[in-house]
Amino acid sequence: MKLYEYEGKRLFSLVNIPVPRGQVVKSPVHVQGKVVVKSQLLEGGRGKRGLVRVTEDSYGTIQELMKEGINTFLIEEFVPHTREIYLSAMMDRETGNPMIVASPFGGINIEESKDVKTFVIPIDRKLMRYDVDAIEKYVGYRGLGGVIEGLLRLILEYDAELAEINPLAITENGPLALDSKVILDDNALYRHEELLKELQREKVPADSYVELEGDVGIVGNGAGLTMATMDLVKLMGGNPADFLDVGGGADTEKVASAVIRVGSNPKVKKIVINIFGGITRCDEVAKGIVEAYRKINKPIYVRLTGTNEDEGKKILQSQGIRVYEDALTAIGDALRS
Amino acid sequence: MNSQTRVLVQGITGKEGSFHTSMMLKYGTKIVAGVTPGKGGTQVNGVPVYDTVKEAVKEHEIDASIIFVPARFASEAVYEAVDAGIKLVTVITEHIPVVDVAKFVRYARARGTRIIGPNCPGLIVPGESLLGILPAKYFRKGTVGIVSRSGTLTYEVSHLVGDLGQSTVIGIGGDPIIGTQLQEVVQEFDKDNNTEAIVIIGEIGGTMEERVAQLKKEGKIKKPIVGYIAGLTAPREKRMGHAGAVVYMGMGTFESKIEAFKKADIPVAKTPYEIRDILTKIVRK
Repeated sequence: MKLYEYEGKRLFSLVNIPVPRGQVVKSPVHVQGKVVVKSQLLEGGRGKRGLVRVTEDSYGTIQELMKEGINTFLIEEFVPHTREIYLSAMMDRETGNPMIVASPFGGINIEESKDVKTFVIPIDRKLMRYDVDAIEKYVGYRGLGGVIEGLLRLILEYDAELAEINPLAITENGPLALDSKVILDDNALYRHEELLKELQREKVPADSYVELEGDVGIVGNGAGLTMATMDLVKLMGGNPADFLDVGGGADTEKVASAVIRVGSNPKVKKIVINIFGGITRCDEVAKGIVEAYRKINKPIYVRLTGTNEDEGKKILQSQGIRVYEDALTAIGDALRS
Repeated sequence: MNSQTRVLVQGITGKEGSFHTSMMLKYGTKIVAGVTPGKGGTQVNGVPVYDTVKEAVKEHEIDASIIFVPARFASEAVYEAVDAGIKLVTVITEHIPVVDVAKFVRYARARGTRIIGPNCPGLIVPGESLLGILPAKYFRKGTVGIVSRSGTLTYEVSHLVGDLGQSTVIGIGGDPIIGTQLQEVVQEFDKDNNTEAIVIIGEIGGTMEERVAQLKKEGKIKKPIVGYIAGLTAPREKRMGHAGAVVYMGMGTFESKIEAFKKADIPVAKTPYEIRDILTKIVRK
C-alpha cells in the first residue's frame, strides 16, 4: 500500500526521522510567511508538474491547485538548507537482508543516477557504528545514524517494502526529510491495524489490477500468463488497457468481478481473456465470463484450456462468446475486429 | 526427488491441502503423513494426520514437506519443519510478509534445509513424483528442465514443449525473496544426467535472470539454455500480479534481463510459443 507524503512523514516521526513542521488541509487556509504547499497525490513527478509550490500566499495557491482537482495539501514551513542527500531502505532480494540505498545527491532521478551505492545490513544483527560510518563517508556527511536507524525500523518493524527520503536536506540543525515515499507490504497489513486506523486507511482488497494506456482489456489466471498475454497483445500490434490476474483457483464470482472490473474501464473497447486451467476449472471460469458479459456488453475473446475445458467451451458458445484453443488466434481475432 | 521421496503435508486437512493431497497421491507421490494442529489422530485419503511435525517424524521417515498452511501461520509451519530436521520444504502459500520470508529462508539455510517458494506451484518429476499443485496431465517424461517464477505460464510452456518432454519442472515462486533462486536450479539442471536443455521462464523484477546469464557467460553452465521473460509491457513500479514482479530503482527491468541473456548468447523467445522452436534446434543438434 502506497502512502501519501504526509502519511509517510507521520511514520518518519514515529521512528524519529526529523520532518519539517506542517499541517494537512483540505481547503484553502492562510499561513503566515514563506511556506511550501504540496499537493498530496500518490503519483510521482509532482514537482515537474508544478504541484509543489513555494509561496507566501498559501490561501491563493491552494485555491489555484484545487482547480486542478487536487483536494488534499500538506503545508510546510520553508526550510533553508545548503545541500541534499538521497537515502532509502528496502529488502535486498539477493541476500534477503535490508539494505540502505544512498546517494550524495538528493532530488535526483535515482533510476538514472550513477552516484548511488547500496549497503546491506544483515538481518540477524542490529545496525552498527561501522555501517553508519561507511554510508556517511560515501555521502560525505556525518550525523545520519538516527535517520538510517529509522529507515531500517520502517522496513523491519513496520513492514515497509520501500522507505525513501528524496531529498534529505542538510540544515543548520541536522538532517531533515523534505519528502517521503513509503510503500507498505500488503501482506503484512494485518499486523498494523492500529496504524491503519490512525492513518484512516482501509486495508485494500488484494487484487492485481493495473491500469495501462491502450484499449484492450487483459484478464488471465496467474501473473506470468497474464503478463505474457499483455506482452503478446503489444507484440501483435495492439495496446493493452489494463491488467488483471484472477489468481489461482478462481471461481465464478471472482472471474465475473474481474471481467466486470476490466470491462468497466471506459478505455477498454474489447477484452482478451487467457485461461489455462490447472487448479482453476474452466466451467467455473466460463460461467463467470457469461455473467460479466451480460453486464458490460463489450466483445470478449476467450482462450480457454485445461481442467473441464469442454464444459467451459459449451457454456461460452451457447452465449455466443468466441472461444479459442490458443492465445495467438484469440488475440489475433481481437485485434482485427 | 524421485518416486521414493517420502512426503509430509502440512495443512493437510484444509481445502487446498486435502484436495492436492489426493492429486499427489493419484500421481504416485509417496505421502506418508500430514499435520494439522488439533486434527491429530484423523486421516485424509488414508494418510495419518498428526498435531505436530515432531510427532509425525517420530512415526515416519520423512524426506520432504509441502506447506498449504494459511499465510498468517505459514512461517511457523516452516520453522517447525526445519526444526524437525526435514531437508526439503516446499511452501505453496502466498501472501506471507516479505520480512518473515527473509527470516525463515535464512534460518533454514543455516540448518541445511532447502526451501522452495513461497508462493510457488512446487515441482514435478514427470512419471515419478509430484510435490505441488501443478496439473499433472500437461507434463510428460523427457529431457527439458524447466524453471519458472510463474505458475500457469509453466503449465503453458510445458504443454507447448510437447513431445520433447521434461526431466524436472520447478516453479520457484513469484515473491521478492524466495528460498531457492533461479541460478541454483539452473546449476542443478546442469549437473542432472536426465536434463539436456534448460528453459528459464523469468519475469520483470529482481536480478536472478541476470545472474544466470553471468554464470553462462563465465562458462560455469555447460548445457544450452532458452530464456523467456514476461513483462515487456509492464510499467515501472507497478506490481504485476506477483509480489516480486515489480521494478524498483530500475533494477531487474525487462530490457536488462534480455540484454544480459543476449550477452551470454542465451537465445531469448519473444513469446512462449517460440520456446519450442528454439529448443528443437538445440536438442536435435
